[in-house]
Parts: sequence; C-alpha cells; structure tokens
Amino acid sequence: MATVTATEPTLTEHTAPSPDPSYIQVKNFSFWYGSSQVIHDQTFSMPKQKVTAFIGPSGCGKSTLLRCFNRMNDLIDGIHHEGDITVGGESIFNPMLEVISLRKRVGMVFQKYNPFPKSIYENIVYSLRVAGRNKKSELDEVVERSLRNAALWDEVKDRLQDSALGLSGGQMQRLCIARAIANQPEILLMDEPCSALDPVATGKIEELIHQLKRQFTIVIVTHNMQQAARVSDRTAFFYLGKLIEYDETQKIFMNPEKPQTEDYVSGRFG
Amino acid sequence: MASQNPNPDPKRFEVSKGTLRLDTFMTHFIKVGGVGIILSVFAIFIFITIQVLPLFQSAKVEEAAVIDTGVTDFHIVGVDEWGELPFVVNLKDGSFTFIDIKREHEAKPVIGPRGIFTEHPKYAGKAEFTSALYHHKSEEVIFGTNDGRYTLVKVEYTPEFNARSERTIKAKLSADKFFPLGKGLGAVQAIDYYDADKDRLVAALVESDTGLQVRTTTFKRKKTPFGVGAWKPADEYNLTDQIQGKPSKVLVTGQGNGVLISTVEGTVYFFIIEKGEIGLRQKFQPFGEEGIGSMDWLLGNESLVFTSDKGENVIFAQYRPEPTEEQLASGEEVRRQFAEINSLPNLSGPADLYSHSMRNRAFLLASGPEASIRYGTTGSIRWQKTLGFTPKAGILGSRYETMMLADDAGSLHFFSIDDPHPEASFSAFFSKIWYEGQDEPKYLYQSSAADASTEPKFSMVPLIFGTFKGTLYAMIFAVPIALLAALYTSQFLKPEYKKVVKPTMEIMASLPSVVLGFLGALWLAPILDSRYPSVFLILFLLPLTAAAVGYVWGQLPQRYRIYLKPGQEFLVFIPLLLIVTIAGWELGPWVESKLCVYVDPTTGQEIADFRLWWPHTFLGGNYDQRNSMVIGFMMGFAVIPIIFTIAEDAMSNVPQFLTSASLALGASRWQTASRVVLPTASPGMFSAMMIGFGRAVGETMIVVMATGNTPIMDWNIFNGMRTLSANIAVEMPEAPKESTHYRILFFGALLLFLMTFLVNTVAEVARVRLRNRYKTVG
Ligand SMILES: Nc1ncnc2c1ncn2[C@@H]1O[C@H](COP(=O)(O)OP(=O)(O)OP(=O)(O)O)[C@@H](O)[C@H]1O
Ligand SMILES: [Mg+2]
Repeated sequence: MATVTATEPTLTEHTAPSPDPSYIQVKNFSFWYGSSQVIHDQTFSMPKQKVTAFIGPSGCGKSTLLRCFNRMNDLIDGIHHEGDITVGGESIFNPMLEVISLRKRVGMVFQKYNPFPKSIYENIVYSLRVAGRNKKSELDEVVERSLRNAALWDEVKDRLQDSALGLSGGQMQRLCIARAIANQPEILLMDEPCSALDPVATGKIEELIHQLKRQFTIVIVTHNMQQAARVSDRTAFFYLGKLIEYDETQKIFMNPEKPQTEDYVSGRFG
Repeated sequence: MASQNPNPDPKRFEVSKGTLRLDTFMTHFIKVGGVGIILSVFAIFIFITIQVLPLFQSAKVEEAAVIDTGVTDFHIVGVDEWGELPFVVNLKDGSFTFIDIKREHEAKPVIGPRGIFTEHPKYAGKAEFTSALYHHKSEEVIFGTNDGRYTLVKVEYTPEFNARSERTIKAKLSADKFFPLGKGLGAVQAIDYYDADKDRLVAALVESDTGLQVRTTTFKRKKTPFGVGAWKPADEYNLTDQIQGKPSKVLVTGQGNGVLISTVEGTVYFFIIEKGEIGLRQKFQPFGEEGIGSMDWLLGNESLVFTSDKGENVIFAQYRPEPTEEQLASGEEVRRQFAEINSLPNLSGPADLYSHSMRNRAFLLASGPEASIRYGTTGSIRWQKTLGFTPKAGILGSRYETMMLADDAGSLHFFSIDDPHPEASFSAFFSKIWYEGQDEPKYLYQSSAADASTEPKFSMVPLIFGTFKGTLYAMIFAVPIALLAALYTSQFLKPEYKKVVKPTMEIMASLPSVVLGFLGALWLAPILDSRYPSVFLILFLLPLTAAAVGYVWGQLPQRYRIYLKPGQEFLVFIPLLLIVTIAGWELGPWVESKLCVYVDPTTGQEIADFRLWWPHTFLGGNYDQRNSMVIGFMMGFAVIPIIFTIAEDAMSNVPQFLTSASLALGASRWQTASRVVLPTASPGMFSAMMIGFGRAVGETMIVVMATGNTPIMDWNIFNGMRTLSANIAVEMPEAPKESTHYRILFFGALLLFLMTFLVNTVAEVARVRLRNRYKTVG
C-alpha cells in the first residue's frame, strides 16, 4: 500500500471552495423495497465539484441511495420513497421531469465494469448516439477527450475499433468511466468503482477522480477507507440505513464525533 | 484403499461410498442415455435409408435357363401372363410351337410334362404367310399373306387349377377369316392393326406390280343386342404416292385413327383419318438425315421408341405445341404433334428386337448380341449386357419379371428380372420430365395413376416447394408477431403482467396441431373466404395505427404522458387496436366493392367479389378456399408460441448490467431494446426462428387438413400446396408395403429429415458465430 503515503498530501491540496455547497440535497429521504425500509429519513447536502464518499458496512443502503440520484431504482418493482432529493434546487422526482434527461445529467459508473459488446469507440459514443448526435468529427473529438480524461487514450488509441471486451478489467472500468463522462454529465456517481481492480489500476482511477472533480460533482461509494480518505472532500458514514455522520473527510477520519464512526473508520467493526 | 495407506486419511476427509457410487452410476447413466439417443436417431436415419436405397438400384437380370426348342426360324415369341407357356410362331405355315415350362418357386425353369408341342390354328383356307406381328396386350397375332390378305389369330390363355390347386395354363388358338387389304396386291411385308368394338384399322406395306404400296384399310362390323356381325371392309386408302423413299415399317396409333410410316431414309409420316378422309398431319425426322433403325410403341401406344441406324435411341410422343401468332390470329385449332420427349444413351447399332413391358414404361432393345432394358419416362438404362449369343426374337414378360430371348440356334433363353422400381431415379425425383400427354417437361407429382397405361409421376420438387411455401407463409405471419411480442414482454411490459403472458403462451404451444388444422379448415377458411379484403385492410391498418399512435404519444409533453406508467401502455393500445380491427373487418366489404370489381367477360356484369377479382387481376393465380393464407395463420399460430418463448428467454437473459448501463447513459427504453438487447439476444432469437422454422417444415396435420393438398408449384397465396410431411400422411395408407410408392414416401421422409438436419446445423453454426460476436463480459 505504498500509494497510501504517496497520495496523502493531495488531501489538503484541493481545498478550493465549492461554487455551490448544497448542490445535491437529500431531504428527509426514506426508501422502501416493497415493505422493507432501506433508507431511514436522511437529510444532508453535497457540494458541487467536490468528491463525496459514502462509507458504511455492507447492506446499509449506500448503493440504493446512489441509485436514487439517477432514478435507476425505477426499474425495480414495488419501490417507493418519502422525502425528496434535489439537484441544483430541482426535485428529481418531479413528474414533469423526464428520467432520460435526468440520467443525461447524472452519469453512473457501476461496481462491475459493464462495457457493451461493441467496439471501444462505439461504447464511448453511445450516450451521444442515443441523443441523436452522430456527427463523425464531433464523435471523434469526444472519444479522444473522454479517453484522455479517463487516462486510457494512450493504451487504446490504436485499437478504437476493436471490441471493448478485449480490454483488461482495469481498462474496461476506465472505459466505463470514459463512457459515463462522454456526454459531459454534471454529476458522476461511482459505486465501488475499484472493487474489482488491482492496486495499480486503482491508483490510476483515483488519480482520475482527482482530475475529474474539476468538472464534475462526484459521489463515490467505497469500502476502502484509505481510498475514501485519499479521494474525497466530504464523507458520509451510513449504518443500517441511517446517516450517522457526515462531515469533511479529514474530520471523519481524524476526529469523528460519533463513536460508531470512529469504530468503523479505524476498522474495529465493519 | 485407505487400509493400504500407512497414514490413512482422517475420517472427515473421506467421501462416503454412497456418494461415490451414485456419482459413478449417474455418470454412466447419463452417458448411456445420451449415446442411446444419438444412436436411435441414427438408427431411424439408417432405417429410412434402407427403405429408400432399392429405389436407386438398377435391374438384376439373370439367365435362369436355356431350353432347346427345336424351332430354328424364330420370328415371334409370345408368352402368357405367368410365363409358363411361351410360344414361338413359325411364319412358314402359321403354326404355333408351345413350350411347357415348369417354374417352381426358387428353382430354375425346366420343361414341363407337356413338353414342346406344335399347334395349327384352323385357318379359313390355305395361305402363305409373309409377315406377322404380335400384340402382347390383346394376345393376338396378325398375319399378312403373300396375296395381300391378312388374318388374326387369338391366343387365349386360361389357367386351370387341379384338386391340389396347382396351376396349368391352357392355350386355345382361334383364327379369323382372311380379309383382303385391296385388289391386285402381293406379299405383305409389314402390318399393324387396331381393333375397337365396331372399327378396325389395318395398315400394311404390300408388294404389288407397281412396287411397294402403303395401304390402310378400315373395317366395320355391326353390333346388335344379339351379338356382333362379321367384319366388312369399309374404306381403303392408298398412301403410296404421299411417301417419298422406301417405307420400312407401319404402326397404327393408340386411338385407331392414325397411321405412322417410317422410311429407310429416316422420315416418319403421320397420317390421321378424320371424317372418312386421310390426311398427312406431320412429317418428321427423328434423327435428321440419319436413317431409322426401328420404330415401336411403348406401353399405352402414346410414345414411340426409335433407334437410328447408328444406334441412337430417342422417344417421341404427341403434345400440343404453343399456338403460333398466325394460329392465334386465325383462331385455328392447334393440333397435337410428335416431338422428342426423351433421349437415351446409344446402342451399338439399330435395334433388331423390341419388346415393352405391360406393367410400366420399360422396354427391351437388342442390337446384335447387345441387349438392353431401358425405362422410357426417365431415360435410364435398367440393365445392359453383351450376351453370348445373338437374340433373334424375344419378349419381356407382361409382369416385367421375366424375359425370353431366342437365339438363332433354336434355344430359348430364360431370364429372370428383378427390378421392382424401374420408374425411380434421381432424374425422376429432381429434374423436369416430359411425361406423355404433357406439353412440356414439368415437375409433377401424381403417385396414383388412373390406369396402368398412365404413368405415376414422382417428382419431389413440388413437394419440397410446397414445404417451403407453407413454411414461408407461416413464418411471414409468425416471426414479426412472435419477436415483437417477445421484445415487448421482456423489455416493456411490467413484470406482473409478464407473469401471466408467458405461461399463457406456453399453453398455446401445447395445443395439438390437429385441433389447429381442424379449426383452420372448418372455421377459419370459411370465415376468411368472403372477407379477404377485410383481412388485408386489418393487416395494413394495425401496424399503421400502432406506429402512428406511438409517434403521437412520443410527441406529447411529459405533462400528459405521466398518466400512463411505463409498461402499462397496452391498456390503451389493446382497446384501440381492437377498434381498428373491427373497423377494418367492417370496412372490408366496402373496400371490396370499390377496388375488387370483376367484370364478367361474357355478360359485362360487374361483380364485386375478391375471389373472382384475384385470379382475374393476377393472371394464373387461382383462388382456393383452403389456401396458403389459412395455412399461414394456423401454422403461424402453431409456431408463434415456440418462437416467442425462446426469443423472450433470450431477451430476458440479456444481462441486466448491460440494460442498466444503457439506461444510465440516458437511452430510452426503445433505444436500449434496439441497441443493446436485440444485438445481444440475436443468437437466441435466431435459434428461436430456426426452431420455429423446423417445426413448420415438419408440421403435418395443419397442412393436411387446411389445404387442398394439391402438389402445385406456384407462390400464389390464394392456393394451397402439398408438403413432404402431408404427402406422407395422406398417402401412407394407400401405398402397398415395399412398392415404389411406399419407398418414395420414405424418400420424402428422408428428404424431410435431411432438410431439418441441414436447417438445424446451419442454425447452430450461425448461432455460435453470433454468440461469439455478441458475447458479454462475465
Ligand atoms: N432490488 C432490491 N430488492 C429488494 N431489496 C434490495 C434490493 N437491492 C438491495 N436491497 C436491500 O437493500 C439493502 C441495502 O442494499 P444496498 O445494495 O443499498 O447496500 P450497500 O450498502 O450498497 O451494500 P454493499 O456495500 O454490500 O454494496 C440490503 O438489505 C439489500 O438486501
Ligand atoms: Mg453496494
């Protein structure tokens, strides 16, 4: 874990103030799968162009909450919620809001890399194509920019037309990140993006997150405490569907208020 | 094992004996089961092949015995139906020498107790015979005399059974009077005749003082309730002047109204008697400039077998040619003419000997020592051999089981023929054949002939065509519906409804096809019969409405769209489409009255009836009530559930991480379905279609019941077809075991087997390729 010490200084580096400290607001939000409540009355807000990390033991509802931000839960049968979530002041549950346009604003990187069985190029331009943008020069530009942003350009620039399934796992995950940012969303949701990757690939993706937060607001779920400490500006700790503590990352890791948080981040339970 | 080991494994690591035994047993059981299935499929294949193979075997002809008859001057050999009392004719005195043959089962024929005996028919006076011809069918010999007369001798064979029911064949000879062919005539060189109830036509080449004459004479007799009168000469025609060259042979046509004369120079003259007048109908040269070696009728007196001087062998038959421009203009009737319908491999020279079977289109030719049995319809050589002797006369037994050839040393050679399927060959099954009575070569299937002289036709092509036609119309109907339904159910329908739809479809798949066939024939066909314009209107309106409504819906602002939750659109759609269907149904007759107006050409009356309008507008397309459309619907109904179920599974099995990825990128449900689900599920969809195709190809009961089962070759949607499978179902009861027909049904089964095998193999290969192309991670 040499990377831990190597990237430690970055923690203090990005302290530029956020342009909108309560960009994403979760207001008294509760969520049910059928009759089982998974999220219990949470209220907090996340700043724009910062990285917010969600930590907490398995099954505490991190992924569920994350999927609420782009309403991916809609696909599941028998869900309902109470309270509200707003992005830039606008409710994402507003019936007049089209889910498609919400999902264009809120990109998502899944825990398990999931490239389409298409070429690298087609994977990246997918979000543009479905939006009806098919101009070759524009697509080429987007491919290069996204791949550069995802630190994958040099590795794949010669084989853009090859199947994406021929890449390594870490490359595929970076490809998925490139695909998620191709259409320039405002928010990027990442659900344990490094859980299937080796330390080198993990390091690359963490570096990438540092790059990306200049443009995007990032919410990342992770089980890796060091990773949360390294990449995030703010950290939320959940336990059994409840928000236990939410604060500056430094504070959560150095000086948490709640004993449960302290126990969890120091590895005494989890 | 554990006991031999110095350090036995701890007990907890041991696998229980029971588990091991069960595991071994199951492994072998599964192996045996799997291999057993493959073997039994293979065994079925072998069995069918064994049934089919005899079709492609050539004749087995074996010399069974040589019997010395003491008669040297063979001119005619005749034989009874059982092949037990053959005779030879001694032309000099008109005597018949019979040879009693004892044929015991499986034993060589030997001379029987009656031995060889000669009989003299009671001729009505003295005469010297110069030519004779044996009509095998009527068992009559016509003799021409040296003074321009002829007589007929009937050989009446009757089997007699003794107390031990052993058969003896008795022969009775009865000679007719002598009839003159004309006045002042000399020796008859060639003669042929045709006998009907009240008419007789005799044609002959007769010598006279002025040279060889071609004479045709008709005779008539009275027929009263008290019996028949004697033959009286009626008309006499002298055709000599109309013929150039040296006539060599005369034949009378099968209807007794025509005469064919061949000349040594190679021309055939075909005369027809109409209303008491004789006229030249056609003059043709079967071999161009080359001379004619022989000319004889095939069974049924419709086809002529020619050999040329050089041994070329062709078959001519009458057909009705396409009318020429002038004939069309003048309204002149097109007359039947002779044309070459088949040509066979060459013999070594002109045929000296000819005989045809009384069972089928097989015939025997011999040229010098070379003898050959050939089949006229297919043009195949059944058997050919250069014999150790030169046959002078010979005959094929009427059952096509024996052949007798007489050599010039006075011996009669007995041959047994084993050729149960002479009419079968690759060309009979797969190429166009010019059958007698047809006007051109065709693919025809007509397994049961009206009588012995019309040949059964066994082309497999119309059946294969019918199979594909039925399948095609079923697939046109079923594939779009099944695939779209699968796509909708798997990608758009709310899971709670899906739970109902899928099992319902699976129940539909188990509906017996006989029920579908029954419904198709007795319920659907009569309903559709008068409502085809409605059907077309509905088929046109439904997709149009769906597309239009979908488009309008998509254009509506979100404000209105929120009232209908995704996955419940069908609540609006189904009533709407029902309304459109009913509207189309009701509007159909109105459209028919506007568009499908048929003007009766004779009365000028306008009739708005689709069934009349269709064949009139699309020439050659006739209309049947039980047609391909009914098949398309009913068979489509049978394959929709299969295609649906498999395709739905394939689409539902597209990993959720792919659809999630697409949706998270801002794709709509339709974009996700079309860009991610369809390509990924394409191998499954493809095998769904192929399995549906395989089911439709082999489907039997629906086709048997809901079409007319006519083996036609026509893509017209408003007539039927006969499929390979329906053919087997329809004809199996009437095919005697091991007959050609029976084996041909098996051949159809083999083709079906191979076709489905081929389709499945192609499908599997394509599926694997597709799968490799669209396989996903994980
Ligand atoms: N589709 C679903 N239907 C019903 N219950 C679900 C569904 N998805 C998740 N849950 C339940 O919701 C709870 C929270 O799940 P979630 O996936 O949000 O946990 P998580 O915090 O992301 O856990 P992990 O760290 O293991 O990923 C769990 O108890 C889980 O069983
Ligand atoms: Mg999770």
